[in-house]
Formats: sequence, C-alpha cells, structure tokens
Amino acid sequence: MPSIVDIAVNNEGFSTLVAAVQAAGLVETLAGEGDFTVFAPNDDAFAKLPPGTIQTLVQNPPQLARILTYHVAAGRLTKDDLIKLGEVTSIEGSPIPINGEDDFEVKNATVLAADIEADNGIIHVIDNVILMG
Amino acid sequence: MITTKIPPSTHPHADVIHRLEAGGSMLPDTPENLMQIIGIYKAYAVPMDFYWRDLLYIAEQVFLEPFRFFKYFISDEYLERQNHYAGDQADLRIWRGTGSAHPELLEFMKKGETFKSSKLFHHLFHDRINMEFAEACMRAMLWHGRDMGLGKFDAYLDSDEYKANADRAIKAYFKKNPVMLGLYKLFPDMFLEQVRELSYYANLGLFWEVMAPVFFEMSDIYDEGGFKGVPDAMNFLVNGIFAIAGRPIYHHVYIDGECFEIIPKSKGFTWLYEAALPYVEAVFYRTAPFRGTKSYNAQAHEVPDAQKDFHYGILYADVFPVGTAGIPPTLLMDDMYHFLPQYLKDYYKEHCRGEDDELIQLGITFQRSMYNVTSAVIQALRTALLYPLDDPNPKHLQKNREFFEAQMDRFLRPEARLRDIQNAEYR
Repeated sequence: MPSIVDIAVNNEGFSTLVAAVQAAGLVETLAGEGDFTVFAPNDDAFAKLPPGTIQTLVQNPPQLARILTYHVAAGRLTKDDLIKLGEVTSIEGSPIPINGEDDFEVKNATVLAADIEADNGIIHVIDNVILMG
Repeated sequence: MITTKIPPSTHPHADVIHRLEAGGSMLPDTPENLMQIIGIYKAYAVPMDFYWRDLLYIAEQVFLEPFRFFKYFISDEYLERQNHYAGDQADLRIWRGTGSAHPELLEFMKKGETFKSSKLFHHLFHDRINMEFAEACMRAMLWHGRDMGLGKFDAYLDSDEYKANADRAIKAYFKKNPVMLGLYKLFPDMFLEQVRELSYYANLGLFWEVMAPVFFEMSDIYDEGGFKGVPDAMNFLVNGIFAIAGRPIYHHVYIDGECFEIIPKSKGFTWLYEAALPYVEAVFYRTAPFRGTKSYNAQAHEVPDAQKDFHYGILYADVFPVGTAGIPPTLLMDDMYHFLPQYLKDYYKEHCRGEDDELIQLGITFQRSMYNVTSAVIQALRTALLYPLDDPNPKHLQKNREFFEAQMDRFLRPEARLRDIQNAEYR
C-alpha cells in the first residue's frame, strides 16, 4: 500500500500541500512509520487563504511545520472513530474539534473525501486549511 | 445580506453585530471616521518605527546592562536596520515603505520640539520619542502573559530549555564581571526574570516591526484616494494579519558579536499566535490601572479579582482623566502629536477647544482607530476559525453569530467605549 506522501504526490489537487510538506521538511516523517491521521487540505483550500499567507510560511519552515502538524493526529482514525471522539489532539498540540451532525466537519472545514487508507495511516481530504485557536 | 438567513440578534450591541456580519467594522463607516483613523495611523506609525527598533536594540544588544541609562540611545545600526517586510531590501517585501528608519522620525530625533542639540540634552529635556510607552505595553504583555495562556510563548519562558539558553547568555554576558556573576549565583531567578522581560521586548519589537509599515502604507493609500470607506481600511488590516501570520517570533542576543538564541526561530513561534493575539488581549483590553490617574479601592472590589476581567486598555479608556502628564497613554498621545497630518490638525482646530485640547481629541481618534484594528482582529479570527460571511449554511452563520456576540459581550461593561464611538460628537 502507498504511504500518505505517495498518495498526495500521485493524486491531482494536492500540489500545494505536497510543496508545503517538502518546504517544511516533513516528507520523511509522513512517509515513515505511523500511524497518522492526516486532514489534507486540497489546492482549492490553500487558494482560499488571503494573499501572502503561504509565501511567508514557506520562507519560515518551522512555522510552516507547526501549521501543517495541526493537520495531523496520531493513530489511524476513521470517520466513525473521529465522530465518536468529538475531538482529537493534533501533533502540534492543539485540539481539533470534530462534528458529525450533518456533514462530516473538521473544525471549520468540511471533509470532501473520508477514509483514504495509506500504508502508514489514513487521509481525510478537507476544503479549508484549519488553524489553531 | 446574510442577516436574512438567520433571525436578527437580540444582543444589546445587535446593531454592531449586524454590521460585522455584513463585513463592516465596529466603527461606523463615515468619511469623517475614515479620515480620523488613517490620520492617526500615520501619526502612530512614526513613533512606532522608533519603538520596534529600540525594543529590539534593548533585547538584542543592551540585554542585562546593569546601568541602563543609555537604553533609549539607539545605535545607528538599529536605525538603519532594514525592515524584514518593507522597503527595497526586505527579505519578503509585503509593504512599500522604507527599510530603514522613516525620514520624519530621523528629522524629529535631530531637532525634537525645541532645537537641534545633543541626544543627551533631548533625553534629559524629555524632548524625544517616549519609549516608556512601548515598555508599558511590553510589561502588560509580560504581566498578563501567564494568565492569558495565549500561544506558546509565555509557557516556553518557564521551560528548562529556555532556562538553559538564558543561563548560557547570562554567563557569557557577565564573563568579565565577577560581581554580577556572583550576584547571579545568589539570585538566579532575578536574572532569569530580567531575561524573560527582555524576551518580551523582542516579542513586541518583532510585532511592531510589521505594524509600522502597515500603517504607513494605509496613510499612503488614503492620500492616493484608495480607500472608499472604513471597511476597506479594516480589510487591509485583515489581509495584513494573514500575510504576516507566520512571521517567526524569537529572541536572539548578541554578545561580543556572537549570537545567543534564547528563543530560537526553530521553536515555530508565530507573529499571529505568540505576538499579535496576546498583544491585543493584554494591551487593548486588559493592561492595568495607570498610577496617578484615579484611586481604586481593592477591598471594595473596584479592581477585579481575576486578571481576565481587567479592563484598562484603550477600548475602555476614559481619555480625559487619563490625559495626565507622564502616564503611558499620554506619552503615546504626545508622540503622535508630533506627527499629525495637516488635515487632522485642521480638523481638531474646528472642534471642542481647538488646539487647547488637541491631545484629548487625538486620544479619542486613537480610540476609534483601535476599535477598527480590533474589528480587523475579530474578522481575521472569524475567517481563520469559522465561516465566510456569505456561507450558505445557516448553522455556520449561527456559529459566526455566536462568535460575534461573545466578542461584543466584552463591551457590555459600562466602561466600554463601543457606544460612544458610534456617535460622531464623541470627541
């Protein structure tokens, strides 16, 4: 089975995420041993951020890594697991609220595709970059 | 208009909440308000260009100097230091501006209000930029830092890693001073606390390094006829907040040319989480009562028991009695007074007691302008953490509504000036 990074690289619509993961130096981590639950914003999600946001972050890898690790939780958590938990702690350290009332929502993002299995974890594609706070 | 999708708010500040939901500011959108806030942003940007440079100079160079009389005597290197985000030589140019100190600041530093003289004369005569104001803001952040629990900066100051970094710098700084090293051995916590304070100097300096060119550019855009109303000015700030959100917050100290990383950039601390949000909370909302303005009886609960209930910031300030010599807000007003654009000077002459109460008039303009900055922070948080204003889902709009209402709850206390700034006659 491909790793989380392989899936992101080989599917269309994740070029910004892949570039960001590379700039932050997180490729090895996310291709390595898991398991991870990754909330993966697609290219449209990144495009929604006001101009300059990504540029400043790419120039500062530790800060970029912090935002990206807010999109990752430890363990292999499916949609059902996440909804049951209601909240997970990100690798960054801040909590990520989960809502399964109507749509499957991760903080203020809606999950566009859930439960994409990878060798070292599971991916849920989201329509917004989520931020701590 | 999104208010049609959910019933109107019944909050006492419903009018303001509906304006925020329509993409507006807490400050009403009138040409007079726009003129006032932009004029004061310009007047604020010039001293701020000194504040951030000197804050970093103190944090990085003066450091633990036992005799700190000269800490406001900024070096040429720090006046010429290129802004990271403005000017031709910026690492990442987001704003136009000048990279080194603003020409109006340099001119004022030479002449002051009086005449061209030595730095020492201007300092002793108090004819200079009032750095004491910047330090008061820094101390508000330091004092409220632990209680606010915002970001990871303050918690890091208590970590063993930070203590080890500070220890290395302290020992290097005093390596030729056995008396101070002896004192350090006897009272290590006192020295550590000084370094923590210096880390907040760096934090605030890095925060304002960004805000100064933002305000300069807003003034330029206004002069070019670029802003149509208050919401445009607010949105410029919102975009600025996002553009710079990921800027690193760190504390480096230079001892004999060697850099000691007390808070390394690699900690991942960011401008938004570790500087901007704590700054707004500590300085705009909380601060502490200013000595010499009013007496409070703590036993009669005139001062809140909890720090989170402190309400002595600009959003609550009664600008008139606060306008007493020597206290931090008056120091700022005095600083801004030197750099008012002509249109704002003319405007103050037409109202109240003209030039006689200009400091108070400009203080109230400043209050209006900071309600606009706070609106930008509220809208930026809504954008980052919640939903677009035109979201088709009523549940999302309801979440936005609850967020706006919670923010407005903070202005329910009688000291809040939110209702006053709705009125053009409040001056």
